[in-house]
Amino acid sequence: MKPPPFEYHSPTSLAEALAVLADRTDAKPLAGGQSLIPAMNFRLAAPAALVDLNRIDQLAGITESEGRIRIGAMTRHRAVERDGRIAARAPLLAEAMPHIAHPQIRSRGTIGGSLAHADPAAELPAVMVALDATLVLQDGAGERRIPATEFFTGLFATALRPGELVTAVEVPALAPRTGWAFDEFSRRHGDYALVGVAVMLSLRGQGRCDRVRIALLSVGDGPVLAGSAMETLQGTRPTPEAIREAAERAAREDIAPPSDIHASESYRRQLVRVLTRRALTRAAARAAGARP
Amino acid sequence: MIVEGTYPLPGKPEAVWDLLMDPDVLAKAMPGTRTLTRTGPDRYEGTMAVGIGPITAAEFDLVITLTDVMRPESYTMLIDSKGRFGFARGAARVVLVAGGDGTALEYRADLQVGGKIAGLGQRLLDSVSRMMIRQGLEALQRELAARLG
Repeated sequence: MKPPPFEYHSPTSLAEALAVLADRTDAKPLAGGQSLIPAMNFRLAAPAALVDLNRIDQLAGITESEGRIRIGAMTRHRAVERDGRIAARAPLLAEAMPHIAHPQIRSRGTIGGSLAHADPAAELPAVMVALDATLVLQDGAGERRIPATEFFTGLFATALRPGELVTAVEVPALAPRTGWAFDEFSRRHGDYALVGVAVMLSLRGQGRCDRVRIALLSVGDGPVLAGSAMETLQGTRPTPEAIREAAERAAREDIAPPSDIHASESYRRQLVRVLTRRALTRAAARAAGARP
Repeated sequence: MIVEGTYPLPGKPEAVWDLLMDPDVLAKAMPGTRTLTRTGPDRYEGTMAVGIGPITAAEFDLVITLTDVMRPESYTMLIDSKGRFGFARGAARVVLVAGGDGTALEYRADLQVGGKIAGLGQRLLDSVSRMMIRQGLEALQRELAARLG
């Protein structure tokens, strides 16, 4: 199918793009187009105008400074997946990347596009919440920074204001004695995950958990931080029993998953139980120095 | 698809009941409702526009018929809506239970969704309907609190 008619803007600078978006409240920014264009072709989305961000060079690229890695919003998934600094300094992100759809989609899709789209089954929102990343947003009035946990506000809903763009995401570089793990389950590789989990786990002196973050995807309106599971592990040794208890609480208390033709609520809870246990086990072993 | 739950509302069942029959109040309980008028003793007609995230809001024609009306305890809403992107129809059973100073609204809706929205948005239907019901009940609670003072 073909999309309904739309006006097309192709700015070459961020300032120009923001000016068009401020002027045209009925315009949608176009990043990699891997969700928006299919929605337009099915005629589910009918924006009056598109502001194509693909010619704005300053929005793409990965830089590192002061313990933070900054990824420009228009950086393609494939570039993140293949980046050596990401592999070394943000390995959770590197581990999650191959789970995003298929290589063709990753070659075109962008990190900023995925975060702004805020699909409840997407990997990157959960990864950013687990990493405690910061979203950099900009509109004509200026730039603001917002933690990932506050950026995702509901089903396909974010803290973005009209006319505002995600320009970058900043993730903290891997701290010492910190482990990570990403896992998800889908019936076919590349399909939307029925459940996914992203874990960051830091150990302190006596091998106790100093900082644990567990973010789940596809079990709510957006990424879900498994608060009671995190609390279970805080300050304790990540023994198999403690991990089992945390995974159990994640499955029972932290989520209210949907039922659909792909998976029932109880099946999703079981997947959370199993995947959270596996991810915590792997993250704890990595934090203790085991080879990934 | 079945969506069910219980939600606390302010006011005695009789007062809640009268307001629930008011099309202006009923419209508040259904997010996206643009117009809603009573066209018969137990019949309402109107339009609603629903858009989620990237999906441009699509207008639906809406007809609601009440059956099994047992004032002030329970009724069944028969819902029939259709628009460019498909249709949603089904029945929602509503039971009002007095408790303390307020009323517990128990609901159980059995909805069928078809057409383009069901074909393309299947994985989101449950989340979207739960979100709309939650938003609707929150709005209803605010409306009742304001009207019952």
